Amino acid sequence: MENIRKGFEEVGYISDAEVIVTVYLALKLQKPILIEGEPGVGKTELGKVLSQIFHADLIRLQCYEGLDENKALYEWNYQKQLLKIQIMKEAQACENIEHDLFSREYLLERPLLKAIQSENTSVLLIDEVDKTDEEFEAFLFELLSDFQVSVPELGTLTARHIPMVVLTSNNERELSDGLKRRCIYLYLDFPAVEREIAIIKAKVPEINEKLTQQIAKAVHLIRQNREIKKKPSIAETLDWARALLTLNEDSLSEKLVKQTINILLKTKADIESFNKQIGAAALDEFARS
Amino acid sequence: MEKTMEANIVRFTHLLRLAGVKVGSGEVIDALNALTVIDFSDREQVKTALRSVLVKRKGERDIFDRTFDLYFAPLEERERQQMEHQMRQDQKKQQIEEAEQDLTFEEENLDLTEEEKYLYSQMDQEDKGRIKDYLKKAEAGKSREWEPNVKSLIETIVKGALRKWLHSHQDQVDLKERVSTGDLELDYILEDLGQKAPSGEDSLMYEDMQHIKDKDLPKANMLIRRLAKHLVTRISRRYKRSKRHQVLDLRRTIRDNIRYGGTMFKLKYRSKRIQKPKLILLCDVSGSMASYASLVLQFIYGIHSVLGQIESFIFSDDLERISQHFQPGSDFNQLMVDIMNKSNVWGGGTRLHTSLKTLRKKHSALLTSDAYLIILSDTKTEAIGDTLQELQNIKKCVKDILWLNTLPEQEWQNSISTRTFQALVKMYPCNTLNDIEQITRSKIFS
Repeated sequence: MENIRKGFEEVGYISDAEVIVTVYLALKLQKPILIEGEPGVGKTELGKVLSQIFHADLIRLQCYEGLDENKALYEWNYQKQLLKIQIMKEAQACENIEHDLFSREYLLERPLLKAIQSENTSVLLIDEVDKTDEEFEAFLFELLSDFQVSVPELGTLTARHIPMVVLTSNNERELSDGLKRRCIYLYLDFPAVEREIAIIKAKVPEINEKLTQQIAKAVHLIRQNREIKKKPSIAETLDWARALLTLNEDSLSEKLVKQTINILLKTKADIESFNKQIGAAALDEFARS
Repeated sequence: MEKTMEANIVRFTHLLRLAGVKVGSGEVIDALNALTVIDFSDREQVKTALRSVLVKRKGERDIFDRTFDLYFAPLEERERQQMEHQMRQDQKKQQIEEAEQDLTFEEENLDLTEEEKYLYSQMDQEDKGRIKDYLKKAEAGKSREWEPNVKSLIETIVKGALRKWLHSHQDQVDLKERVSTGDLELDYILEDLGQKAPSGEDSLMYEDMQHIKDKDLPKANMLIRRLAKHLVTRISRRYKRSKRHQVLDLRRTIRDNIRYGGTMFKLKYRSKRIQKPKLILLCDVSGSMASYASLVLQFIYGIHSVLGQIESFIFSDDLERISQHFQPGSDFNQLMVDIMNKSNVWGGGTRLHTSLKTLRKKHSALLTSDAYLIILSDTKTEAIGDTLQELQNIKKCVKDILWLNTLPEQEWQNSISTRTFQALVKMYPCNTLNDIEQITRSKIFS
């Protein structure tokens, strides 16, 4: 567990004990980690960080509506097969052609199969799994529990090295119980003020202490407001910090908040809600307190 | 030692299930395995490890934390809590016995439930005095001579008075039914969990929507709008899935492959057009639904803000179209005031059959084979037979009728109207926000 904590520190991923214990358990029990949380809390980043600290290949499967086995697991190289047929037709040597056509030579490996067949341990990041359909979720069961997949023409392919699997979900829809049962669960919330200060310090080290604290407190206040629909993510906090640094500011002010609030809030409705519910002056005052 | 740990974890997971957390046996095995690889002496580590393997929903994390803190409390603390629990039980029993002594008519006990007797015991002396005075006066009168069943009449009046009192003192009385496991330790934890339920999003999800307190309304409104959005996302997804059933586009395939001498080298597919279903929403705003009305409108508002293809109506004595009020960017509070001020049906009686007839006659263009009719109501209406007939007529025109019933599911069996309509339409409980969430998860549009 200590190694994981050190690894996170080395790559600048500020985490808490919960993240470390969960990752440790997932590795020890050889189970996938399912990470849920608001967009922008660092779910995908955790997968990337794991590949960095374990020096493993990162194999990423970005999920979307309509994603199917062909795009996720494997596909037969149809064009290559067709060419082979054409060549063989002219060569008049048709023996074993059927067997040849469905050999590994014609197999296009997609991320899931790549992770299973990898020579070294890899990190398989299945990103935004909630965007897929239930059928695809069910298809993942075999992979996540037994680390094997079935290709009808080749039989069952078992993992050479069990990959570290990280699934992320924005909670747009409830995932099935079957999928959840196979995973270790981690809910990532927006960081507390202290942790956000640590993140800003790690990612934007040039910024001064006072401004760092003001930024973290201000962002925390905005996230507390229920009327603001798209809460500022950690990445947006960092963008704001960098923007203020570029403007050579060392402290927040009402004017500065008004000028740069669009870096934190990305919709007109949210900016209007901010002006109505909090306001630049109040935010500035709160952050300075 | 190990056996004790296993038994303890199994008992703990049993408690979690009783508290509403979904825990399967596979997860119990994971929990035991997890405990073998962590530092067992570190309480926080044990808690985090168990939470990671046993809890798979954000909303269940809080229940887990409180259950863990109570179950794995130091021994002295547990003994103290058990003793307090026992004392509370004894006190409640005594209060009920005292209530029984007061609530008599001609030396006979009134036929009241334990809950009602407990309610009486919670009243202050002045309120109790009123009921006792009433019973005394009733005994002094000669009502028996002209009404032999006067006792049941008096019972009804007393029950009414108790309900009325409860309505104005909801915050003071806790009437939640507790599961009794027969295990004193588990019982006291369950009771404690119920008492210390936070008024956060998670507990709101399980509260009867009509009992949501004013201070929690903004939170409930946010939740309901989010659920409405989820529901709409679900609808659009359901239909986008058809994109996967691709059909080979022969014409384009041949045209594109002429350059390869006619060999079908590149295959072209024709994908099905994505269509979202049309929705017609009928919301009951009659007297019996008054306490749900604000949340009902929030629900419609939430759906309108994401989905354009929807027609909304409210009904009580008759039907009234309200879709025109839901303009993009409109303020909800203003919208609510507008609808209530302009409406002629708000808070009236319930004549669903008349409303359905109006829908069929005046808005027949909406009733098409790709439209879903969603009725949000407690089913309490006049003329059940006529309503059923109208529902049958409309069902022939639309794709399906879905009924979101605000009556608690356990009362459905006793409601004739619910049973009658249930035979014809698909009915879903819609009494708590959790029910709505269940609806958004289920495949209702299929």
